[in-house]
Amino acid sequence: MTISACSGSSARGDIELSSCPDILPVLDSNWEAGVAIDLKAVEQLATDQSSLKAAAGLAKPANWSGVGGSPDGALIWGECAGSGANPYRVMADLRDLGNKCTCPSRKFPCKHVLGLLWLNAESIVPFAPADTPAWVSDWLGRRRGTSAAKPASAGAPTVDKDLRAARALEPEAPEDPKDAARREAQAAKRNEDTERAILDALDALEQWIGDQLRLGLSSFIDDATARCRRIAARLVDGKAAALASRIDELPSRLLALAAGDRPRGAVVELGKLVLLARAFRATPRDAEIRRAVATSETRETVLADPQSPRVNGHWEVLAEQVQTRRDGLVSQTTWLLNLAASGPRFAMLLDFFPASAGRRGSVFTSGERFRGELVFYPSQQPLRALLVRRDAADETLVSEWPAPGHTLSDALTRPLLAEPWMIELPLLLPQGRIARDDSGAAWWRAADGTATLPVAGSAEGLLTGTELTRTAAIWSGNRLTILAAQSPWGRIDGHD
Amino acid sequence: MTETAGAEAIFEAMGAVVTRWTMGSTAAAAASFWRTELGDDPVEAELRLLALSGQFLGATVTAEPASALRVLPDIPPLALPTVAEALRPLVRRILAASKDAASRTELVHFLAARGWTTHPADWMPDASDEDAPDVYAAWRDWSAFTAAGATTQRQTNDQITVENWEDFWPAARKAALIGLRRRDPSAARALLEAKVGNENADARLRLVSLLSERLSDDDVAFLEGLVANDRAPKVKALATSMLARLGHGPAAGEDIAELAGFFSVKTKGLLRRSRVIDFQTPKTPARWQRRKALLDGTDLTSFAGALGLAPQDLIAAWDWKVDPAADAGLIKLIIETGTDAQLVQAAEIVSEHDATGLIVALAPRLAPTERAKFAVAGLRTHGFRFEIAQVIAGVAARLDDPLSAPAGAKLLAEIRRDDAKPSDHAEEFHALGVLASQAAAQQTSQRLTAAGLLQGDPRLDMLRLNAALDDQGEKP
Repeated sequence: MTISACSGSSARGDIELSSCPDILPVLDSNWEAGVAIDLKAVEQLATDQSSLKAAAGLAKPANWSGVGGSPDGALIWGECAGSGANPYRVMADLRDLGNKCTCPSRKFPCKHVLGLLWLNAESIVPFAPADTPAWVSDWLGRRRGTSAAKPASAGAPTVDKDLRAARALEPEAPEDPKDAARREAQAAKRNEDTERAILDALDALEQWIGDQLRLGLSSFIDDATARCRRIAARLVDGKAAALASRIDELPSRLLALAAGDRPRGAVVELGKLVLLARAFRATPRDAEIRRAVATSETRETVLADPQSPRVNGHWEVLAEQVQTRRDGLVSQTTWLLNLAASGPRFAMLLDFFPASAGRRGSVFTSGERFRGELVFYPSQQPLRALLVRRDAADETLVSEWPAPGHTLSDALTRPLLAEPWMIELPLLLPQGRIARDDSGAAWWRAADGTATLPVAGSAEGLLTGTELTRTAAIWSGNRLTILAAQSPWGRIDGHD
Repeated sequence: MTETAGAEAIFEAMGAVVTRWTMGSTAAAAASFWRTELGDDPVEAELRLLALSGQFLGATVTAEPASALRVLPDIPPLALPTVAEALRPLVRRILAASKDAASRTELVHFLAARGWTTHPADWMPDASDEDAPDVYAAWRDWSAFTAAGATTQRQTNDQITVENWEDFWPAARKAALIGLRRRDPSAARALLEAKVGNENADARLRLVSLLSERLSDDDVAFLEGLVANDRAPKVKALATSMLARLGHGPAAGEDIAELAGFFSVKTKGLLRRSRVIDFQTPKTPARWQRRKALLDGTDLTSFAGALGLAPQDLIAAWDWKVDPAADAGLIKLIIETGTDAQLVQAAEIVSEHDATGLIVALAPRLAPTERAKFAVAGLRTHGFRFEIAQVIAGVAARLDDPLSAPAGAKLLAEIRRDDAKPSDHAEEFHALGVLASQAAAQQTSQRLTAAGLLQGDPRLDMLRLNAALDDQGEKP
């Protein structure tokens, strides 16, 4: 796992269109006339009619935030709410229609870029002149030469694309009550089948756990990868995908422990699996438990659920963790700290995309603060969230980090009462300092001497040479991964 | 749960439970206090025990350090302030875009020249980073003593003396010696005479090299002592070179006569007769090598003397750009064994002859004002690119209006080209950012954006940093 300072780079998705001869004359004439872009260029830029249709749906002010442009009008940017936890960052250079979006779409340009251009072409929202954000500057620095890239549509057979058709609303056919009833019945049957499949898979899991105890944890630890892979495959077949993914990662968590601590670690890991399986059996419809076993609700479900807590607040980006999982997906986790006195202290924005899609740009910069609205997935301890509105960055926000709400021992154990199968727990630590043992391993030690926690990996530089007045970290039961800290030197990023 | 089963008892039992499972045995019998919770079904009991034990071990057992913990001392504040918070992202981006350590070192030298230092979270020197500006000595020593396992910082605030020499870590000692040498050259030399013998060869080399500042005849005896007695050839060579700069080169031997044989002094001109060096071109590769070896082994005064000339006359009579290998050999001699005046004389002549490579070689030994002067001359008269001019000028230059030089006009023309790419001329823009004064950086940024570059263009990062950074540095 790596934690970056949220300034990751991406070449994927960059596109230069100056080699598109049918668009450039439109641009040139518009540029000369002082008009940024017209709809004809948007139409020609689209790879197909469906992209245009999707872009038409996005070209509405409600979908966008942080829209702006350079004072000379050459650059435009904005953030568009997508299906992920974070809005996508979209940017375009109107001089040559080079563009970039952080979404995982394989269409270039994607619907978000077309939507941004559409907003600009029709002046649907004002593109207020502003300083170029760092993420736009970063993209400019990485742009390839104009001859390096070819637009997806270049050389492809011309397909008729029509803006009017894209704008037209498709008439909705009146719904047949019988069809609706049939669909509902089918959905209920599917749910029932899924639940049955998961329960069968959990039976298999418990039997497998019993086998590991009978065969001895010593041999389990030696052969954890292969054994976990086998039961994970069985769980995938049984529609318990989230649990399968958790078990796939179990060996790496185990191997991160000292050899002498692995039997204890195995007992803790397997014990949590038993607890989770039992919890599912007791309440299979509980959204939180289902999320841990099967799949998460869709973004739409979370947004539509009145139980989903909505928190309008002032957030600081702590860090971004990017991890390539064994199933070929890359998870991008952004940790936010709520700077308000109350409400969920942390928020976790989680997105997945295929590793084959290449590196993906960061949505945030580490340390960035913003006001925005988050919708949390319903939970006893809300943590995973969706960012639904983000206001423009406010440089005047200078709130200090809040004080930890509980004693450290409470903070370490209280969440386990509600969610005993939890593996990672975000913590806000009180004043402390990094110390080293004789082997050079790093430990976080509370200033009052009441707690000492082992730190994952190495801690170097400023992190070890100053008092840490507050530390935001992830506790995994045996190691502390530092996300960021406050110190007399200001904010310090955690592990690199 | 049985009420009497306290945490201690459970903890005691966990050892046996984990051991049994590790070996593949059942463990329920070892946790009799949970008999009721575990039930009668032996398979179910093991799973229940696993759930309970896992939660207990996960919540109550955390690793403890096997040895006493060592807290590192605070990273000390430096004599110069840290760049403003608002500029840190720009500094980080320039550091991240730097291709190598030398580029990063250039940035921190630039900042130091303008009166600023980096934030320690953005850049810190290693203990062995000899190229770091002296203002970072305290951080270098912090790295050294943390690596050495020390927990207390040594005294570094006092002026360095024979008595407190050992209280200084190497980087602070070097910085203190530089300061002492500037204030009181004799005291610094006397201190070196007393202490340098106890250091290893690399440290001796670094310490003796500090004498090059305010080098004078007072240093001759000490340097001659090093030439005669030091155990390390590289220290002897350095002392010999310094002596040569003072006109105390080694006695001329047969080699110098052989070297003189590769050259002759002729006169030219009818009315104003002047002397010129004529090159006897070596006829075989072996002879070329021999000439190079002879040039490497002599000093400027001896070489000039062998040709019957004073050093300054030799530099004036040299026919530049006729024999590049001989040019390079002479420039090396001047750098290593010439006086400051001879160096400036050579730089002026070389500059007139438009010999870019030679002026770049001479630049590091020139004073900052001289460096800036030759950089401006190169830009205005010889069409140097900004990158070359910046190498000559170093990081302390503050050129006014560099964009009006031919290189600027060329750059402006290039960015207006239809086929200009977003990454074109990044090095030129960066060099321009280092060369310019703050006011010039502000004006240059405006002119470049007016010419079509975007304000956020990362190629302008260095210019933007320069423009935003209050110049608090010592002006050369």
